[in-house]
Amino acid sequence: MTLIQERPGGPGEPGATGLVAEPLTEIVPGPRPRGVVKFVTSTDHKQIGLNYLVTSFIGFLAAGIMAEVMRTQLIGPNNHLVGPASYNQLVTMHGTVMLFVFGGPFAFGLANYILPLQIGAPDMAFPRFNNLSYWLYLGGFLVMMAGFLTNDGAADFGWFGYAPLTEAIHSPGPGADMWILGIALTGFSGIFTAVNVITTTFTLRAPGMVMFRMPIFVWNELVTLFLVLLAFPVLTAAMALLWCDRHLGTSFYDPAGGGQPILWQNLFWFFGHPEVYILALPYFGVVTEVFATMSKKPVFGYKGMIAATLTIGGLSMGVWAHHMYTTGAVLLPFFAAMTVLIAVPTGIKFFNWIGTMWQGVLTLNTAMLFSLGFLVIFLCGGITGVMLAQPPLDFQLHMTYFVVAHFHYVLVGTTAFGAFASIYYWFPKYTGRLLDEKLGKISFALMFIGTNLTYFPMHDLGLRGMPRRVFTYPVNAGWTFLNELATIGAYILGIGVLFTVINIFHSMRRGQIAGDNPWDGQTLEWATSSPPPEHNFEILPPIRSERPLWDANHPDQLTEVGH
Amino acid sequence: MSPLQTGVLATYWGSPKGVTTYSKLIHDLWSLNYYIALPIAAIVLGGILWCVVRYRARPGDDRKARQFQYHIPIEATYTIIPLILVAVIFGYMYGIENKETHVSKHPGLVIKVQAFQWGWRFTYPNGHQELGSVATEPNINDESALPVLYMPTHETVQIDLSSVDVIHTFYVPEFLYNRDAIPGVKNQVDFNVTTAGQWIGECNQLCGTYHAFMRFEVDAMPKAAFDAWYHAQKPNSLTIAGASKS
Repeated sequence: MTLIQERPGGPGEPGATGLVAEPLTEIVPGPRPRGVVKFVTSTDHKQIGLNYLVTSFIGFLAAGIMAEVMRTQLIGPNNHLVGPASYNQLVTMHGTVMLFVFGGPFAFGLANYILPLQIGAPDMAFPRFNNLSYWLYLGGFLVMMAGFLTNDGAADFGWFGYAPLTEAIHSPGPGADMWILGIALTGFSGIFTAVNVITTTFTLRAPGMVMFRMPIFVWNELVTLFLVLLAFPVLTAAMALLWCDRHLGTSFYDPAGGGQPILWQNLFWFFGHPEVYILALPYFGVVTEVFATMSKKPVFGYKGMIAATLTIGGLSMGVWAHHMYTTGAVLLPFFAAMTVLIAVPTGIKFFNWIGTMWQGVLTLNTAMLFSLGFLVIFLCGGITGVMLAQPPLDFQLHMTYFVVAHFHYVLVGTTAFGAFASIYYWFPKYTGRLLDEKLGKISFALMFIGTNLTYFPMHDLGLRGMPRRVFTYPVNAGWTFLNELATIGAYILGIGVLFTVINIFHSMRRGQIAGDNPWDGQTLEWATSSPPPEHNFEILPPIRSERPLWDANHPDQLTEVGH
Repeated sequence: MSPLQTGVLATYWGSPKGVTTYSKLIHDLWSLNYYIALPIAAIVLGGILWCVVRYRARPGDDRKARQFQYHIPIEATYTIIPLILVAVIFGYMYGIENKETHVSKHPGLVIKVQAFQWGWRFTYPNGHQELGSVATEPNINDESALPVLYMPTHETVQIDLSSVDVIHTFYVPEFLYNRDAIPGVKNQVDFNVTTAGQWIGECNQLCGTYHAFMRFEVDAMPKAAFDAWYHAQKPNSLTIAGASKS
């Protein structure tokens, strides 16, 4: 129950005092579905959101285990834990699952659960369509993983699947087909989710919730899902062409029949680079919410932040060929310029985040720690990103471990740390209980140390010339010590993740009761009960800024007007 | 022999010294990057640390945060300065990039480098070929069976890259350079090696099961020594790496 003492508009207006958001006491014919039946049939955005979050977290754990096996294989030179064929499958499926099953869909889960609450909507615009998206996604996940059960194993040509290695003659197994099908299914799921979330955002906002009063998280999800709408159809089409190449005798990507391998790279990266921002922007939104709430301040430079997000979204559509500098087939200066330009709006975000914390009252709980970890790790990934954006440096480092280091600093920093921040921040809303702070802080400390220990040495490995995606390396190359460090780091990171998993299971039943608004939140998801009732709100506080609940709870601390 | 290791011990900002005429250009670009990146990283990290230490809530803290949201001059500053910095980086980088991708019309020597699953074939103008591929029982520590790319120093050597099956990448860490070998695409890149020596080269693009073994050796020698070696090779002859051993 949330008690909203006073409305900032002053007394006298109807409903000015004593706004109480009670759970809906709707009269429902018959018992409501529970358990598995609810999981399968529910069209409630919160149930579907949780389905996404749980499924994608399982994907995260599965891909994490694959990474631990790979790191164990690389702990010493000439190691024989897994052979080259198995290693290639692990490399491929680790990347594919992390990107298509965890990174994007976890953000879709957040969009499903949190976004309608933050804009004061009762549900998504198309609830049944929403349910369909989830089932397509789960189907895709299971199909691509089932590749491991086939005789030849799962797909083994890398998550980027460069043609002509993916052609039937080079990769004849069914694992490759299941990979194509799995990605196409998650692709359709993504497109449907994008349609749904965009429509919801444009049409179901509560009265007063104009676009420039939407929380930054909603803005970021909106831009993300526009990118999904632009990028995923291209990917799905590319997959369809690849399927034709493999089974119908066409030669879109096969030079033997007059096809063009570069076409695949163009199509794939036209999807692939926006994809990186699809994986990053929602989590930028998450940490923005956490910084503002835990600092007890409004988001600094709110409109600049939105402009930065839109700029990143726009630029991200024009940088795909920076993955292709070494092909000798792209116009280098254009793509280099577009890519280094992205540093500017990203920098604006960094300074805005610092500005949000500036002179605040910072509660350093686990959600906040993960958000701070996000800042530090992503900073490093951002800087190496600017380096790799320059063709001469990319010529040196392309496809070496330096790129692995950069990429993981970006995606572990944003996606993983952002996702963990979101778990600690919104778990009370999902379950009504708080996660344990002690376990959470241990988890954060281990993950932060583990991440840096794993990925920092990889910069040096890349500079020393260690190629990506090799399953072993020679004794005399001078790479052994750094690889040992990285593997030990990966174990520490894995143990850190386990602490959060234990925390979730522990706190689901025994966690401290959270109440509706445990963090003194600012946005509307905290204005309803935890977990929210069906259709979310009985009554809403008046929406006169981007943080209506704060205005209602702290009428003496309204956002200062002017600069 | 561990050519790569000894080579890498001497580093510039962590990367190999490099043995071609491009090295100086790339080192200068690294320097510019570090001179810009390190202060920015320090400012941002410092800002984060300051906030965490200075503004953290202490027990019994009943401060109320000032609810400010905009400060246009500051926001403009941290928009415009980064814009200038990336423009500087881009401008500086542009010249270097053009030099690196320039292909000479009159190279001193053209070597055809053909990549395949899983090995390399180096063809010289007189038709002599150096060939090496993954042995039946590959051993990652065995460098005696790697194909050797012989090249002269202080001369523009054009590498003519092609692939017969899937995409591979020609990569010599000491050259500070990667270039893809793509079936159906002709890729050319010039190197002018300034130091004689031997280094390991690698395929740098996942190309199937034995990708990790697809390595080769570069042997750069002074012009006179190279000419002596070259003239000793009969036209259209073939040397298979590791063949003499078995």
